[in-house]
Amino acid sequence: MSSLAAGRRRSRFATDILPVILVLGGVVAAWQATVMAFRIPTFLLPSPVAVVTEFLSAPAFYLSNTGFTLTTTVAGFLFALVIGVALALLIVSSRIFDRVLFTLLSALHSVPKVALAPLLVIYLGTGMTQKVVIAAMIAVFTIVINTVVGLRSVDPEVLNMAHSKQASRLKILLKVQLPHALPNLFGALKAATTFTLIGAIVGEFVAGEQGLGYVILTAQGAFDTPRAFVAVVILGLVGTSLFHLLAFIERKVIPWHVSIRSERRR
Amino acid sequence: MSRGGGQAAVRVVPAGTTDAPAPVAGPVRVRISDLSKSYESDRGPVQALSGISLDIHDSEFLTVLGPSGCGKSTLLKCVAGLEPVTGGRILIDGKPVTRPPPDLGIVFQRDLLLDWRTNLDNVLISVEFLGLRKRDFVDRARQLLDLFGLAGYEDRYPWELSGGMRQRVAICRALVDNPGFLLMDEPFGALDAMTRDDLNLELQRIWLRDKKTALFITHSVPEAVFLSDRIIVMDRNPGRIAAEFVVDLPRPRTLSDRETAPFIRYSAEIRATITGMGILRNE
Ligand SMILES: Nc1ncnc2c1ncn2[C@@H]1O[C@H](COP(=O)(O)OP(=O)(O)OP(=O)(O)O)[C@@H](O)[C@H]1O
Ligand SMILES: [Mg+2]
Repeated sequence: MSSLAAGRRRSRFATDILPVILVLGGVVAAWQATVMAFRIPTFLLPSPVAVVTEFLSAPAFYLSNTGFTLTTTVAGFLFALVIGVALALLIVSSRIFDRVLFTLLSALHSVPKVALAPLLVIYLGTGMTQKVVIAAMIAVFTIVINTVVGLRSVDPEVLNMAHSKQASRLKILLKVQLPHALPNLFGALKAATTFTLIGAIVGEFVAGEQGLGYVILTAQGAFDTPRAFVAVVILGLVGTSLFHLLAFIERKVIPWHVSIRSERRR
Repeated sequence: MSRGGGQAAVRVVPAGTTDAPAPVAGPVRVRISDLSKSYESDRGPVQALSGISLDIHDSEFLTVLGPSGCGKSTLLKCVAGLEPVTGGRILIDGKPVTRPPPDLGIVFQRDLLLDWRTNLDNVLISVEFLGLRKRDFVDRARQLLDLFGLAGYEDRYPWELSGGMRQRVAICRALVDNPGFLLMDEPFGALDAMTRDDLNLELQRIWLRDKKTALFITHSVPEAVFLSDRIIVMDRNPGRIAAEFVVDLPRPRTLSDRETAPFIRYSAEIRATITGMGILRNE
């Protein structure tokens, strides 16, 4: 039994993790080889070694800027989550909210949020608030739409079953609709990790003196390509980590969902 | 029995029994008068039921037999107050049905279990919906699952069960708060013959013990005869009552009773009537 489990774990490593390492390692090696073979100047394309060296020359600087961007992203994400779910609940619970809010949200959604970023500086200043708001704004629409779809797509016969036992609207919402909407919500949240990160960087591009976006902007001004590359690589790592953190939470919260069950069986 | 809509309904009493009055003549719990129901669809209204008149007596076990699409499920949902009727009316305990009455247990045609709840919690959701204290019903829920052969599966999830097992969980969910009025839409359709026999016995036992009023839907003539005080045969296009049989056999009935002459006579009679009306073919 235990050897079977160990075997499965080993095969999981072999099928899931090993290929990723091989592909990434291959890309990095090819990158290094290309830079060395063609003697590409560092200001055009720094080699992986140059990027790592640059990071190691000022780890505290990079970590503190990463911390700032990460904080903005997570705060934006949490705001988007709370506001998005709240709006979705309002929309499904009243026809008036449905009409008004949906119209409003679609109008808001069709405006590129990036275009609002400079405007927000006027209202919210150049601090973290402005960046959190942009991040939340970019992510919130996806969350609302998907949660509304989830809340509304309960099998009408299940609602009949609930009504046959005198269930109140609140009970149906809490015990049937919300759990039913969780898979949709998680789908939206995984997308939202990327959106909020974009929002945070856009906010830093527009104004401010901290964060990985700011690092990229100033590095570009100084033609310090390795510095920009370090920031970009860290952003990639942060984005991937957030996505996988969400996927991990998803597996813990909705282990019953078909998507998770079939993933486990593979 | 008054019957609206001028339908040519046949009341058949099998040979061997005298001009039988209904063996159960408790007070009327459900009175359906000239009920019609049509659904709106993209291609115009669909007439699902027409001219249905029917009384269901207190503590009576009434079965509806009929071909697929004749409106059995629709009739059940109208009685349950889950579908608005488009003509005629339904009274339960003298009051028009506008919403599901209290004291109701429905076994739906599909099991409708919730994937995120264990089987025990799927049974107990009835209690939660009703706003009763959950822990007062945990023991009863476990007993019911045990009774229906699901001991050991309480903490498993519905997607770990076979179709027949899932349907049995759904039956427990309908019964957990011990409702007096049972509506069952082909509850044993997904079961193998042996389990089905078993559950027929169990259902009869529960019904006899608690004196429930039951409306039961099935495709199986022997099952209908085994369980029922009265059987309604429906025909389709539009869904209407085509015949009615009173089953005057002593209770409790046993499985081997099904091989006795009176039982066989009932089954044959019903089958002949159904075939004669062209509802079912004989081969
Ligand atoms: N929600 C609905 N909307 C439109 N038409 C419907 C709806 N539900 C049922 N019908 C139609 O009403 C008729 C009766 O359906 P119903 O489900 O009551 O049949 P049934 O006797 O229960 O059949 P089965 O034995 O296959 O379960 C069918 O023609 C069906 O297409
Ligand atoms: Mg049906």
